[in-house]
Amino acid sequence: MAFNIRPVRPVFVGEVTGIDICQPLSRDQVAAIEAGMDQYAVLTFPDQPLTDDQQVVFSANFGELEIPLAAQMAKPEARRFDKLELGDISNFDGKSENLRARDDSRRMYALANRLWHSDASFRAIGAGYTLLHSRIVPSNGGNTGFADMRAAYDALDDATKVEVENLVTEHSIVFSREQIGFEVKSDDASNVRPVKHPLVVMHPVTGRKSLYLSSHIGGIVGWPVPEARAFIRDLTEHATQPQFVYSHKWRVNELVMWDNRMVMHRATRFNDLKEQRDLRRTSIKGVGLAVADAPAMAAE
Amino acid sequence: MTMTITPLHPDFAGDVAGIDLTQPLTAAQVAAIEAGMDRYAVLVFHDQHFDDDKQLAFSRNFGELEVSSGAEMSKPEERRLKMEMADISNLDQNNRLRPADDRKRLGALGNRLWHSDASFRAVPAKYSLLSARVVPGKGGNTEFADMRAAYDALDDATKAEIEDLVTEHSNAYSREQIGYQKADYGADYQGKLRPVRHRLVRTHPVTGRKSLYLSAHIGTIIGWPVPEARAFMRDLTEHATQPQFRHAHEWKPRDLVIWDNRTTMHRARRYDDLHDVRDLRRSTIRGDGVTVAQVQQAA
Repeated sequence: MAFNIRPVRPVFVGEVTGIDICQPLSRDQVAAIEAGMDQYAVLTFPDQPLTDDQQVVFSANFGELEIPLAAQMAKPEARRFDKLELGDISNFDGKSENLRARDDSRRMYALANRLWHSDASFRAIGAGYTLLHSRIVPSNGGNTGFADMRAAYDALDDATKVEVENLVTEHSIVFSREQIGFEVKSDDASNVRPVKHPLVVMHPVTGRKSLYLSSHIGGIVGWPVPEARAFIRDLTEHATQPQFVYSHKWRVNELVMWDNRMVMHRATRFNDLKEQRDLRRTSIKGVGLAVADAPAMAAE
Repeated sequence: MTMTITPLHPDFAGDVAGIDLTQPLTAAQVAAIEAGMDRYAVLVFHDQHFDDDKQLAFSRNFGELEVSSGAEMSKPEERRLKMEMADISNLDQNNRLRPADDRKRLGALGNRLWHSDASFRAVPAKYSLLSARVVPGKGGNTEFADMRAAYDALDDATKAEIEDLVTEHSNAYSREQIGYQKADYGADYQGKLRPVRHRLVRTHPVTGRKSLYLSAHIGTIIGWPVPEARAFMRDLTEHATQPQFRHAHEWKPRDLVIWDNRTTMHRARRYDDLHDVRDLRRSTIRGDGVTVAQVQQAA
C-alpha cells in the first residue's frame, strides 16, 4: 500500500500516514521514505506504537546505527537501556525511572540539547538520520524545534555565501556543554577531541547546499576563536529565524525522523522536575559529508 | 527652534530634531530629553558636532559620569581617550586599525552579544550616549531591544516565575561565551571581574513600568544550577530580542544615540573591522543605586 506524505510546510516537514512502521518494510517503502526525507528533511509518523526492538529494526533500514556518545561515556550501571544503540532522551534516573534530581549531571549534560544543534556533529562522520520515538510526553512544553538549513543557506546574501563557502569548523561535545557552563569530563580523550567539518555541505542525493551549523562548533579553522564564535552565533541566528523553523509538539507513539545534514534541532523547556518525558532515539551514521582534508579523528 | 520627537516604533526609539546638543541646554530642554527617554528608551539625534569635551559636558546634564571599564582595564599608555570616554572603535592608541589577533579587539567582540552596559557593576549604568565620529562603509549597526515590551509580552506563568529572581553578572561571563578567557584580561584586572547581583525584573523609577534586566554579562541565577540558569537566560533573551521588540540604528557621522540601559539591551553588528574605521565614543551615566543587596567580599 502506498503511503501518504502531507507537507507541513511547502518543502519542509512531512506528516506520513497510511503505513505501519512496526512491521517489516519492503524495499520500495524504504526507498519512498528516503525520497520523502530528501524532499522534506523531517518526517513525522503519528500513531506508531513501536517497541525498542521494532524501532531498531525500522531504523536499520536506513543504514548503520550509531552508539550515542552519552552511552559510550556512561558507566554500565548508569545506563537505562542494555541496548547501546538506543539513546535515552528522558528525564529518568536510569533504570529506576524516578525523575532526575535538579543537580543530576546527566540532566545538566542534557540541558545543552536546548541549543540548536545537529546530532553527533562532534564525530568525524556526523549523524545522517536521527529517529526519535515518544513514549511519554509532558502536558506542556518539551517540543522539538527543527530549522531548515537548506532554506537558511539559500537566504544568505551572495557575499556571505562566498565567505562561508570554504570555511571549515571545529566541533566537540565540550563546546556545546561549555556554552551553558557544564564541563564535560571524559576518560577517553578521543570522545572530546575536536573534529573538522565544512560549514557548507552538499546533500549527496539532491545536490542542495545547506549550512552545517551546530552548537558543537567551537572555532573556524584559521580564525581567532572569539571572532569565529561571534560569526557562528550570527549565522545561527539567521538560520533559526521563524520562517525556517517548525516546532513539533509531541503526542505519544510518534516517530519523528530528520536528516542532520539538512536540519538543526533543539528541545524546548518543560517542567522536567515534575513531569515525565520519555523519548528514545536511534541514529544512523551519516555519509557523504567528509571534509576535503583529513579529519582529526576516526569516528570511533 | 523647538525639539520634536518622531517615534520610530509606537513606543520605542524616537528620532529627535530641532536641538543643538553641543550648546548649553536649559533645564526645560534637559527635562524634555529625559521625558523622551522615559517614553522611548532610545533617542536618536543627528548632525551633532561633538568633540569629547562637549560630549562630556552634554552628558553631565543627566547625572554622574561613569569611568569606562575598558579604560579602567588599560594602562595609561594604552588609552586613546579620557577615562570617562569609552573607546568604541577598532583603533589602537596610535589611531591604527587593530590587527585580527589583537587582545582588545577580541574582547570587544563580546559587544556583538545582546547586553546592557555596565550590568557587571553593582550600581549599573543609566544612560549610554554614543557619538559617531567615523562610520564604516557597510555594517556596524547598533541594534536595540525594548525590555519593557519584552516583559509585557511574557505569559503570566513566566512573569510569576521570574518576579523575584536574582542574577549574577560579570564582564567575564559575556566574554567567556565567545571563548575569551578570564586570563586574557591580564593579571592586574581580575578584581574587576568579580560577579555582582541584580534583579531580573526591574521597575523604572519614573514610569513604574517593569522590564527584563537581561544582559550577556549574566552567568547564573542565584539558587539555580548554572547550566539550567544559562539555558533559561538564552530562552528569555531569544524571546526578548524578537524582531517586534527591536530597532536597528544605521550610523551616520555625527549621530548621537542615547539609550536607557535599565530598559533596553543593545548589540553591535559585524563590519569589516580589519579594513574599515569605525570610531564611536561613549559617555555613560551612572545609575541611582543597586538593584538588590550585594554579597560582601570575603576579607
